[in-house]
Amino acid sequence: MNVQEFSAMSVNLFDLFGYQFFQYALLGGVIVAVACAIIGLFLILKKEAMIGDGLAHTAFGGVAVGLLLGVHPLLTALGVSVLAVFAISYMRRKKIAASDSAIAVMLALGFSTGLIVISLAGGFNVELFSYLFGSILTIDIVDLLLVSFLGLAVLLFVAFFRRELLSMVFDEDDSRIMGIPTKGLSIAFDLLVAVTIVLSIKVIGTILVVALLVLPGLCALKLNLSFRKTLFAAVGFSVLSTVLGILFSALFDIALAVDIATSGLIVFVLVMFFLLTLVYKKIG
Amino acid sequence: MPQPIPILEIKDLNVSRNSEQVIEQANFTVEQGDYVGVVGPNGGGKTTLLSVILNLLPYSSGSIRLFGEDIARFAAWEKIAYISQHATSFESSFPLTVRELVSLGCIRKGNIGRRFMREDWKAVDDSIDFMGLTDVADRRIGQLSGGQKQRVFVAKALARNPELIFLDEPIVGVDSDAQERFYKKLSDLNTERKTTILIVTHDLTSVFCRMSKVLCVNKRVEVAQITEGLDADRLLKRAYGEHFHFVFHKHECTGVFSHER
Repeated sequence: MNVQEFSAMSVNLFDLFGYQFFQYALLGGVIVAVACAIIGLFLILKKEAMIGDGLAHTAFGGVAVGLLLGVHPLLTALGVSVLAVFAISYMRRKKIAASDSAIAVMLALGFSTGLIVISLAGGFNVELFSYLFGSILTIDIVDLLLVSFLGLAVLLFVAFFRRELLSMVFDEDDSRIMGIPTKGLSIAFDLLVAVTIVLSIKVIGTILVVALLVLPGLCALKLNLSFRKTLFAAVGFSVLSTVLGILFSALFDIALAVDIATSGLIVFVLVMFFLLTLVYKKIG
Repeated sequence: MPQPIPILEIKDLNVSRNSEQVIEQANFTVEQGDYVGVVGPNGGGKTTLLSVILNLLPYSSGSIRLFGEDIARFAAWEKIAYISQHATSFESSFPLTVRELVSLGCIRKGNIGRRFMREDWKAVDDSIDFMGLTDVADRRIGQLSGGQKQRVFVAKALARNPELIFLDEPIVGVDSDAQERFYKKLSDLNTERKTTILIVTHDLTSVFCRMSKVLCVNKRVEVAQITEGLDADRLLKRAYGEHFHFVFHKHECTGVFSHER
């Protein structure tokens, strides 16, 4: 049974866990939430949070190309994002443009390419919308396998190189002198950022990816913990928001027959957590 | 008497930046166990000289040898630790505890991407202990005082047992009491662990009282062994200008740091 057929039925919340589409949604959502929280925390500490927004919008161009060519849109989005992240890095390194300007250039280029491709293809369609705003309840087994594979790559990389990454984010010159291959590590990290963003598109959509990257880390940073605990807290906030967002979305559907975008609810829960951590910091 | 082992040898070094000569015909040697103060006016080229030695900036001509190896071929960077001018000016909200930061010092070429061994963690705890930071080991680095922050970065450098430490103006913005304690710790490090230290500083009293060599940098580089008979005033005049006046008597150093602990 898919989500459309399910909407027509009346079930209770606990029955939901028995449905395959719901299991896929939860599993895919959790994997993406974990990857985003980890990569996002490093991006915040590097002061490059907006690269997430830039790449997500650029990836939109890739999604449009994929839909036009009949290739899986996440694969074309991955290709475009990887190209964009290297272009940003090149512009920055060669001092062609500062980081924020380089991001703006790629964002504009990617998004405009997307618009041109859509126009050529004959206008917007529902599928394209699902990549713009996310459509977690329609995740199929191919999406889930793709998300799991990419998510695993992110987790393994960070598990092995978290100290080196942290050292590089903290002091790049010193890290280079210490013998850390900062150039290679930067390239690998940039690739992971692109991968993480692409795998988040199905869950939260290109427009709101930046929220899942930035808000969990920001919430965790407000708690004044060690790095290790901050990382776990960020993952906790991210997973909890994603699961709650999915549950609320289903709940609204069942109880009130109101269809609310899951991505909107996930971000709303994240913002609530952020406000709570602000209050905690103020009184704590 | 054993021959001193040269750790850093600079010959006819010229450095230009943006087509302006910054270092001119520098010649000096740093030997194992030296405690070298690098002094000179602002903009004189101290930080540039350090950056070139650390292979962070290119040089125009001359030669740099580290541990007997030409810098182009030198690979044993784990023998060297560097504490930059900006080390302590990190964001106070950065989520790192003292122990976590010091542990980053254990990363070296041979253990990239691998788990730390028991010896690594022992080195971390020993360094924290040596720098007198055990009480604050689990505190976030942003919550430390200026003096503690400096000591944390030295502890981080010590964690991989370097043979040579470079420090670039590490005492900026710290009260004199904390400065003196910091120099005392560096002296202990130099005498107890035989670590060679090269420190860029404006604290001339500490240089002439505590250190074994002084390097005066103002485009030209002059080096002198700090001994009883050294005419410090004349040496410094050549770097800082004729208006500069510095009276130094090595025997007067006793008592300067009377409230050391």
